[in-house]
Amino acid sequence: MKKHFCLFFVLSFSSLIFSQISYIVPSSASIANTSVSNTHEWTAFQNPAMLGYGENSEIGLQYENRFLLSQISTSSFQALIATPVVNSDISLSYFGYSFYHEIIGAVGFGRNFSNKFSLGLRFNYYAAYFSASNSYRGILFPHLGFSYRFTPNFSIGCSAFNPFQMNIKTETAEKQIPSVFSIGSEYYFTPELIWLTQLDKEISSNYRIATGFEYQMLKAISVKIGAYTAGYLVPCLGMGLNFGNLKLDFNAELHPLLGLNSFVALRHSFRK
Amino acid sequence: MVIILLAVTQIKGKAQDALSTIEQTIADIFEQYQQEVEEELDFNNFLEDLLFVAENPIDLNRATREELEKLPFLSDIQIENILYYLYQFGPMQTIYELQLIDGLDMTDIRRMLPFVVVHPLKKENPKLYWHDLLNYGKNDLYIRLDRKLETKRGYLSISPEKNSDVSSKPYLGDPFYNSIKYRYHFRDKIYFGFTTEKDPGEPFLDKIQTNYDFLSGYLQLNNIGKFKTIILGDYRANFGQGLVLRQEFSMGKSSYVMNVIPRGSGLKKYSSTDEYNFFRGLGTTLQLGNTEISAFYSNKQIDGDTIQGCFSSIYKTGYHRTSNEFKKKKTVNQQVVGGNLTYYFPHLQIGATVVHTLFNHFLEKEETTYNHFYFSGNQQTTGGINYRFRWKKLNFFGETALSNHFSWATLNGCFFSPFSLLDIVVLYRNYSPDYDTFYANAFSESTRINNEKGMYLGAELRPIKNWKFSAYADSYRFSWVKYRVDAPSFGNDYLLQVDFSPSRMVNMFWRLRYEEKQENLSQDTSIMSFVVPLRKASLRYQLNYVAGNFSFRTVLEGNLAQKSEEASWTYGLTAYQDLSYEFRSFPLRLDFRYQFFDATSYENRVYAYEKDVLYAFSIPMNYGLGSRYYLNLRYKFNHQLSCWLKFAQTVYADGRTTIGSGYELIQGNRKSDIRFLLHYKF
Repeated sequence: MKKHFCLFFVLSFSSLIFSQISYIVPSSASIANTSVSNTHEWTAFQNPAMLGYGENSEIGLQYENRFLLSQISTSSFQALIATPVVNSDISLSYFGYSFYHEIIGAVGFGRNFSNKFSLGLRFNYYAAYFSASNSYRGILFPHLGFSYRFTPNFSIGCSAFNPFQMNIKTETAEKQIPSVFSIGSEYYFTPELIWLTQLDKEISSNYRIATGFEYQMLKAISVKIGAYTAGYLVPCLGMGLNFGNLKLDFNAELHPLLGLNSFVALRHSFRK
Repeated sequence: MVIILLAVTQIKGKAQDALSTIEQTIADIFEQYQQEVEEELDFNNFLEDLLFVAENPIDLNRATREELEKLPFLSDIQIENILYYLYQFGPMQTIYELQLIDGLDMTDIRRMLPFVVVHPLKKENPKLYWHDLLNYGKNDLYIRLDRKLETKRGYLSISPEKNSDVSSKPYLGDPFYNSIKYRYHFRDKIYFGFTTEKDPGEPFLDKIQTNYDFLSGYLQLNNIGKFKTIILGDYRANFGQGLVLRQEFSMGKSSYVMNVIPRGSGLKKYSSTDEYNFFRGLGTTLQLGNTEISAFYSNKQIDGDTIQGCFSSIYKTGYHRTSNEFKKKKTVNQQVVGGNLTYYFPHLQIGATVVHTLFNHFLEKEETTYNHFYFSGNQQTTGGINYRFRWKKLNFFGETALSNHFSWATLNGCFFSPFSLLDIVVLYRNYSPDYDTFYANAFSESTRINNEKGMYLGAELRPIKNWKFSAYADSYRFSWVKYRVDAPSFGNDYLLQVDFSPSRMVNMFWRLRYEEKQENLSQDTSIMSFVVPLRKASLRYQLNYVAGNFSFRTVLEGNLAQKSEEASWTYGLTAYQDLSYEFRSFPLRLDFRYQFFDATSYENRVYAYEKDVLYAFSIPMNYGLGSRYYLNLRYKFNHQLSCWLKFAQTVYADGRTTIGSGYELIQGNRKSDIRFLLHYKF
């Protein structure tokens, strides 16, 4: 009981200072979570339009350790199926502990139109376990995404996660599901150096402004640096390792109050 | 076969371009205007005229100023330049010659293309035959049905225990909106039509209201012998700069910085659903050489709060939902008689307008300080003289008017184009506080044309290909107190817009606006309110792009407002993404928008024009925190029958549990609208 009480306290406290209430949305492999316009990287639960740019089918796992607390960390599985007409993905994420946990499952579709723009739609099913009633409650909501490539070097993207602000209502409480509107840009200075920017607004939280650079140092190694602010300025560092069909990403961010947040993703692509 | 296919594709493309251009023009002009007037705007005639021009494009080689003025995105200088080009070089051989005309950039030309041709599509027989009217006349029938999904307080019984008693509901009718419009026209010669409308909450087909709440109809004949126009039924009259008489929308401050004077003079059929702003009777315009003489008479019942033979105000909303609103219905008789005489010379146009209004009851306003100079009485006469003349590169325009007790108003200005890349307009207006007339609608800061003097300076510069800079500065002063401003006050308004069109498929603009004006500030501690400056700055970035059958619009807008020197700045933000798609092999078009807004203070409210069913318009005002989205569908069953369906919903996330107030109050944090329109052409 003591453990649960402490956990409840930490969760409440972190939700106050950690600007977004979007825990349940797993982070992306893009630095500072600037994935909304990142055309070369697809991540589960992020802008579904990026699915359209996927050239090969992929499968992956990712784990995000939030502030060194396993109870609020997320584990995700993702798979992309690339076809000539439309790309689709299946993803699953889990967060929580035995007394309280949340699961999201999603099926998404994205299409790249003549390499000019891409549209995506993902259906998310969110379920939370309520120990008081010893039951799961769930709801289905969409995630809309769009990306437009002005030039080969510059593109913008935007997405709306839970755009219709659907919430779970029980007899005793209402569980708010994050409704996140994101917009951002991607610019290639050179084929090796990318600059990403993003503005997020979770409808009930602060604005989050993020930016980051990703540099492909060698064919097998890339480094990432960035920062975001949402009340606190959070520096972010990351690294990518590319072993042929296998790709490994490490990201870390240091919140001035909450501490270290780390992320690892392993993906395998099935090249055509 | 290939040629036919190409032609069809081109026409289809043109029709779509026309609608897109019209929608963009309405958004550009009316979004800002809506912000200022804060009342429901009537775009119906504006849209109808432009759609008519799209269907019957203007032949540039025979175009008159009057015809070109139908294109609201062209400035007066641009119109002058087109006419001057034709005068100087003769008829155009190809539409590409538009690029040779001074002051027209590619954006302007692209906007013009759906509405102009260089040769007429077909030669018209000037004679009228009955069988032509029957066989070649065009008929349109529009049936529209709207409804808000949530139940407003006005539809609920006041006493819950008397649920069965229908009369205990404040609104006498059901929550459906319904209108039927029928239009007939034969070329530009004959127009005939009627309109019926029932607003939400109004009774329909019952003991109280046995038919539609609003009925309107017209018959307009053009160019019959010496008669330029003959109108019977409902119509609108517009003359001069609008100081005496203008019932249609008058150009004001917008991003079209050069378009400051009203367009389209004369008598015109009335086909809208605004229940107040029109005349009902007979009107005619006679053309005798270079002279036009117009005369009209109107006799109609209007709404007013009549008590003991007097009324204190005219009720203009047209709503008759509650028994109180019903009591005001058609209680005052209004007769209007007037005329206009205009002479046209090669470089000069001069006109005189007179209007006399007679009520059967005495208009006795409730005396307050701000309305001290408002009109009282049962009859009013207003007259004015307007002019336009060209002298070298200068185009002068203006009007001076007098009303009862010699109250006066004057507006004068000049367009100037020192070289082809730059256009300038200067406008000075001075409306005395006691000038208060019923039908004035001219350039001004406020909606009433009185108690204002000001100077407006606008300029448009096209320094580099694909770039356009537009700016205006307006400084104004109110010498008498105004509604919610308890002292003489002043204000300044500035706008800078930069347009960039790198290709036919992509265009964008940045719009910066700053306004400072004065308003009352009421505080609990003060005995009376005092006047403080209200400052507001806004920045908008808009990007439009087309890719195949898709078209997109991305908009980001932010504003800052400060009420009084000591107060802190508050912010408002909105961002939205539009997506439109027209299927190739399926006659369906869809428009989708998702909008997010965060404007916690009313001063930071944001407006965004929305695509809608045909002849319905919405520029919803959003403030608070939330999101709005809509889906608008158009399906063409065949070339005769098409339908539109729109669903829109606003969801607030700022913790509110009710939306609206009074009888319009909705429980919950969502409000949803659904609209349906059926269009049958035959």
